[in-house]
Amino acid sequence: MLKIVEYQVLGRHLPTEAEPTPRLYRMRIFAPNEVVAKSRFWYFLRQLKKVKKANGEIVGINVISERKPLKVKNFGIWLRYDSRSGTHNMYKEFRALSRAEAVSSMYQDMAARHRARFRSVLILRVQEIEKTADVKRPYIKQLLQPGLRFPLPHRVTKSRSTFSAVRPKTF
Amino acid sequence: MPEPSTFKKFVEVGRVVLLNSGASEGKIAVIVEIIDHNRAIIDGPSTGVPRQPYPYKHLTLTPFVVPSLPRAAGSGVVKKYYEKSGIAEKWAESSWSKRREALQKRRALNDFERFEVMLLKKQRRDTVRKSLKKSVA
Amino acid sequence: MSEYKEVKVGGEKNGQTRLVPTKKAPRFYPAEDVRQPKKVRKTAKPTALRSKITPGTILILLAGRFRGKRVVFLKQLNSGLLLVTGPYKANGVPLRRVNQAYVIATSTKVDISGVQLSEKLTDAYFAKAKASKSVSAEEEFFAEGKPKAKEAYPEEKASEQKDLDKAILAEIKKTANLEKYLKASWGLQKGQFPHEMVF
Repeated sequence: MLKIVEYQVLGRHLPTEAEPTPRLYRMRIFAPNEVVAKSRFWYFLRQLKKVKKANGEIVGINVISERKPLKVKNFGIWLRYDSRSGTHNMYKEFRALSRAEAVSSMYQDMAARHRARFRSVLILRVQEIEKTADVKRPYIKQLLQPGLRFPLPHRVTKSRSTFSAVRPKTF
Repeated sequence: MPEPSTFKKFVEVGRVVLLNSGASEGKIAVIVEIIDHNRAIIDGPSTGVPRQPYPYKHLTLTPFVVPSLPRAAGSGVVKKYYEKSGIAEKWAESSWSKRREALQKRRALNDFERFEVMLLKKQRRDTVRKSLKKSVA
Repeated sequence: MSEYKEVKVGGEKNGQTRLVPTKKAPRFYPAEDVRQPKKVRKTAKPTALRSKITPGTILILLAGRFRGKRVVFLKQLNSGLLLVTGPYKANGVPLRRVNQAYVIATSTKVDISGVQLSEKLTDAYFAKAKASKSVSAEEEFFAEGKPKAKEAYPEEKASEQKDLDKAILAEIKKTANLEKYLKASWGLQKGQFPHEMVF
């Protein structure tokens, strides 16, 4: 699975005589590495403002790490993606330990269900759902029932030898 | 209360699991919270397993459960419940863990020790056969 | 040979002697440059002994006439080969050289720090005596109409082996079953994989 990291990228227009102190722009970007993060920063910035890579500069880039990486959280992700026939908005929910992890499982899910690649998925918002009542999707709701328990059926144990005298138990 | 089932071991909060791979291989830990149908957070403060997410593929469920462990309990609470339940002793007494230990011991024997085991087995076979013959005759 | 030699010269004003080159300089330079062979500055490194093998380690021989036998390692010879002995009295393996590639080192050790190894035990000790090649092997074998009697094992080597065996066996007997272990030969059973076993 693609390992996604959340970056904070800071950039601005190059200072000119007319504007010696240009505005700083800050973005939180999910990307597999810094190079992609910077590239995505310029992609978004030139759509929003009259700044492009040729007349701008990156001021800083840092990794945003999860505050509580051992707490299980539910995340809602709003996204937009280009399918083969059009553009769609979507809302999905994920249960994960960090924002970055939720996003990487979102990319995996989009690739699996909709054949959408990284380049055609645009993240609009990633939000932790703090109240259980606010969870909308049944596939996350089912994991939030009190007293949740389930068996692990069909466990296949590997035997090193070719033949075994004992029939495997897969339950 | 969950419905009755033919299954005996469940993924649930408080379930004691045996870890099959990774740094804590061979140790037991407790499921603290279920993440999803693939992973759970486990913790083993008294068995030396750090709190971490763990895939079900790399663990085996044991028949033991730490009773009434609250969901997402911290390491200190887990330790308290675990020690109160006396599962460490139950696990050590189980034939499963004994067999595991014996296997590991056997695997760690060097060539000379293997030879000595062979001699002892021979000796045992001999006494068994002799006493059997005596009892039959 | 020196490059110059002194030659007596006649005539008083010629200074009695003169240095004359021993080899006449060639009349022509060679048409093509003669290649100078490169000077070899490499030297063969002494074979490194596997770290698990120390004097007294019990080894399992994997190749040769004594494959499967467990033997005691004595020392590494200058050629890099390992000097081992059964001891001969225990399992019939004499003082012998083996390559460490054909050996499994076990973690069992015999304390042979007290055993004095003879100075004579070098590579030369094991070298074959050069046979005179005057007569063909067939002729020699059937000389005088009957097969030649086998040469007796040198007395000196036999006694050397005996002395060494005595010293090592005394050490071996200190550990129970160790002599039995050396007497038995080693093999793999079904489901045993040497790379997954501890030795």
